[in-house]
Order: sequence, then C-alpha cells, then structure tokens
Amino acid sequence: MNIISKKIDFFNEKIGILTSYLCIPMILITFLVAFMRYVLDFGSIAIQEIIIYLHALIFTIGAAYTLKNNMHVRIDIFYNKFSIRKKKFIDFYGTIFFLIPTCLLIFITSYNYVLSSILLLESSKESGGLPILYVLKIYILLLSLTLFLQAISELFKNYNGKNF
Amino acid sequence: MLSMLLFIFVIFILMLGYPVAFTLSGVSIIFAIICSFTNNFDLTLLFALPSRIFGIITNETLVAIPMFIFMGIMLEKSKIAERLLEAMSSLFSKVKGGLGISVIIVGALLAASTGIVGATVVTMGLLSLPTMLKQKYDVKIATGTILASGTLGQIIPPSIILILLGDVMSSSYQEAQNMLGIFSQESISVGDLFAGAIFPGLILVGLYIIYIVYIAHFRSDLIPEYKSKKNFTAKEIILSLYSPLFLILIVLGVIILGIATPTEASSFGAIGSTLLAFINKKLNLEILRDVVIQASKITSMIFILLIGATIFSLVFRGLEGDIFINNTLSNLPGDIYFKLSIVMFAIFLLGFILDFIEITYVVIPVVAPILLSMGIDPVWLGILIAINLQTSFLTPPFGFAIFYLKSVIPKGIQTVDIYKGVIPFIVIQIITIILIIIVPEITTWLPNKIFG
Repeated sequence: MNIISKKIDFFNEKIGILTSYLCIPMILITFLVAFMRYVLDFGSIAIQEIIIYLHALIFTIGAAYTLKNNMHVRIDIFYNKFSIRKKKFIDFYGTIFFLIPTCLLIFITSYNYVLSSILLLESSKESGGLPILYVLKIYILLLSLTLFLQAISELFKNYNGKNF
Repeated sequence: MLSMLLFIFVIFILMLGYPVAFTLSGVSIIFAIICSFTNNFDLTLLFALPSRIFGIITNETLVAIPMFIFMGIMLEKSKIAERLLEAMSSLFSKVKGGLGISVIIVGALLAASTGIVGATVVTMGLLSLPTMLKQKYDVKIATGTILASGTLGQIIPPSIILILLGDVMSSSYQEAQNMLGIFSQESISVGDLFAGAIFPGLILVGLYIIYIVYIAHFRSDLIPEYKSKKNFTAKEIILSLYSPLFLILIVLGVIILGIATPTEASSFGAIGSTLLAFINKKLNLEILRDVVIQASKITSMIFILLIGATIFSLVFRGLEGDIFINNTLSNLPGDIYFKLSIVMFAIFLLGFILDFIEITYVVIPVVAPILLSMGIDPVWLGILIAINLQTSFLTPPFGFAIFYLKSVIPKGIQTVDIYKGVIPFIVIQIITIILIIIVPEITTWLPNKIFG
C-alpha cells in the first residue's frame, strides 16, 4: 500500500508542478491578446480560447496536487487543536465519505457528457474558435481521476499512520 | 425544511475540519441519496453537474484570479512588499504614527491582490508586527492595525473576493430580473463592483489613519515617537516605493476606467510585478518556481471550492431550499431594510465559521436574487456584504482573522489584548456601514458615472 501511495504522490506531484508552469504562458498570452486588441486592433478567438485551456488545466490537474500538499482550505478552529490521531481519523473517514463520493459523482455524471462531445468531435461555438472543445470537457474527467487517485493515496497514508 | 437540515448539517460537519470543498459536496451527496429514497430528491438533477463545472472552467472573468494571485505572491516573495513597507515608513517617519499609517496602506494594497484572509493577515503579521513592537507600539494598537489592514484588502480592488462576488452578483441580478419578468435586463460587472468599492475603501483607510494619528498625538504611551535611523536615497525610494505603488494603481486604474477587463489588467499586473522583481535583482528561477507553484495551489483551492459549492447548491435547490428562503424572507414582517438587516446579521454570524469564498458561493446565490428583486441596488448590496464580512472576520472571539494572527505572533502576547486592540477598528467598520446605508451614493455614484 505504501508503494502505491508513493507512486500516486509522485505522479500527482510531477504533473501538478508541470501544470503550474502553464501560468507563465497564460499570463503572456493574455497580455499579448490585450496588446493586439488595443494597439494593433486585431483579435483572435482561437488565441483567446488557448488562455481558457491553459487556465482550466492548472486547477483541474492542480486539485490533486493541492490535496497532496494539504492546501485545501479547512475550518480549522477545532481541527488545529486535535491530536494527530484524531486528525488522521477525520481525514480517513472524510476521504471515504466525502471526497471519494465527490470524485465518483463528477465522473459518473460527466462520463456521457464528455463521451458524446468526443464522439461528435465537438468544436468551439464561436467562429474562428478552436475545433477541439471536447478536450476542454475531458479536463472534467481528468480532474475526477487524478483527485480519486490522490484520495486513495491519502486513505493509505492516514490508515498506515496509526490504527485508530 | 430538509434543505435547512442539510445546511445545518454541513455547518456542523465543517467544524470537524475536513477540507471545506469536499465536505460541502460529500455531505450534499449523502443527503441527496438518502432523500431520493424518500422521494424528496430527484437524483437526475445531479446530471446538471458537468455543465456547471464546464461553466466554471470556461468563465473568462475568473481567469483573472490566478494572475492576481501570481502578482501578489511575486510582490511578497521577491521582498518588494517588505521594502515597500520600509520605504514608506521611512518617508512617513516625520509623521507621528508613521509606521502604523504605512502598515495600513501597504496592508490594503497587498491584501487586495491575494484576497485570502488568512494569507494576508499572516503575511502582514510576520512583516510588520516585529517592527511595530521594536518601535514600542502598544501590543493592542499593533495587532489591531494589522488585523484591520490585513482584512481591508478584501474590499480594496483588485481583490479576488470582489471578482468572485461580481460573478455571483451578476447571475443573481439576472435571476432577480427574471423573477420580475423584466426582459430588457441590466447587468453588473466586476468593474462595477471595483468602482463601487473605491470610496468605501478610501473611507475605511482614512478613518483607520485618523485613528492612528489621533492615538500617536494624544497617547504617546501607546505609540511613542520614533526617529528613523535608516535613510533611503532618492533612487531607493523610487525603486521600493513608487514603482510598486505605480504598478498597483495602473492595474486598478485601467479596470476602473473601463480601459481593460480585469483579466487583461491582471496579466499586466503579473508581468509588472515580475519586472519589478527583476529590476530589484530578486528574480531567479527558484523564486519563479515558488511563485507559480504557490499560485497554482491557491488557484486550485479556490476553484475546487467553487465546484464543491456548486454540488451543494444543486442539492440545496433540489430540496427546494431557495423556495424556502424566498418564502421566509417574503413572509417576514417589516420593510426591505428590516429584511436586509436580518440577512446581513445572518451573514455576519456565518462569517464566524465560513470564509469569504464559501459565503459568496453558498449563501449569496440564495439570498441575493430575493433582495435584488425587492429593488435593492446590486453594487450597493455587494459592497455592504463585503464590509459586513470583513467586520465579521475581525470580531472577537470567533473572527477568522484573529485566529490567523494568533498563529504567528510571538508568545507572551495576551489574546485579550488582541481583542481590545481590534475593538476601535470594529467601531470604524460599523460607522462606515451606517454611512453607506444612509448615503448609498458612496457606492453607486462612481460606477454610474463611469459605466452609465
């Protein structure tokens, strides 16, 4: 179980850091688009859409990475004062009853939604937009899958730590 | 009634400390499944989820969030914020209470760009508390100033909170007009809220400063006079003081004047802060890496919270919670103002347990359409909610900001002193809220002037 947990952590850490860097092209392209619009009076829907693709990838992939680093916001008024054992208890059962059902719900409800978009090779509604809108929808599945993997890893870590 | 049960249940379970986003969604899912057995909930409603998530993913306004966060973290990690505070307090060193004034101004500007109560209060606490204590500021004054200025950034544009609030308010406004059957609909934007927040923000900053100056003049036991030894050269002043101020003002200015969208301005802010770091010889790959990773984590945290809140609100509405709230509010005796105060008081209490983003996405979409359909101005309502929540975060013993500050202050500072120190600032908040209620033009004049 330890090995599986380590592998998942490693995987999510790597892709999380990798997608973090997308922030830089996102900033540059947004600036470029604004510059082109105001100074050169030239707009491109396709380039504008790239910004959305970059932005969405940062947090759909970043969600699992953020979970691994325990950065999702908690109401920690009481949690901070709990013993480590109690914290692990809450995290273990929270993952089983809250996080995993959330990942499953997102996956189950999105599966057909995304699949039909892929089969249609759905493209942007805007003329001149990118012809790969289904890729953006695939992100939703990626989010639920990476988050689910990380949930499994957290489960192992909180279980291994101590039997409560 | 089931919807209220869900709400109360969620609040209690949140207290256990499992991440808010997943608690919101997880508890709602369990509730939905149980209620589907008793035919009180239709599970097919949950299939609206993918298109809601897709809506969050493709929302262009929200793209500004990671870039403003990038800007804030870059200013902090490259020590520009720290230098700004030093330079400003040296500039103000001839004024009594100069450091306190600087902390208020820097806090307001810095907090605006990250918009997360905890992060800003912690940063400001680490940044300015040691210096204030070194200059023999009374502990009460020092902690009160840090708390007030650290939370103030929530309502000073370009705050992340106002962007989120603008997003929610604009859909609530649309819903309210649908309820009234209005076809030629008006809309509000993030720019409207930014413009609306300018005067209230200035009033708060002004009153804080007046308070500090008053104390410095009449209570030298609380704020003693201090002679700065360090003198900044003209070049240092330009580099450390004017350039970051200039950057923040330009970013803000182009949004308020409607020259650029918040998203476009945020990219400019991110690039500008990076250039400033470069000019200050603080930019290297390690800092850049830290900044993008930190920005990505905070961004993910915010957006996952939005998704969690979306799942909650799907279930809450499926259980007819919005109808319940609507009926309760309409059946309340009294006029609009009475109903508004009830809602505001409820939000104030919720502020003790929920952070700004949760309230914005969980509570406001339910109450705002009803209040707006009664003819309340959306900008006015938005700003009132923002200041109300800021006050809630400051109020002992539950105020969020106080907990965060406690986590970084040196041992030996009494909690009671923090409580005492923050009370004058709470009085200032209340004065400002009353002022805005009496004179709504404080919030509505500027947006009307600019956007018509």
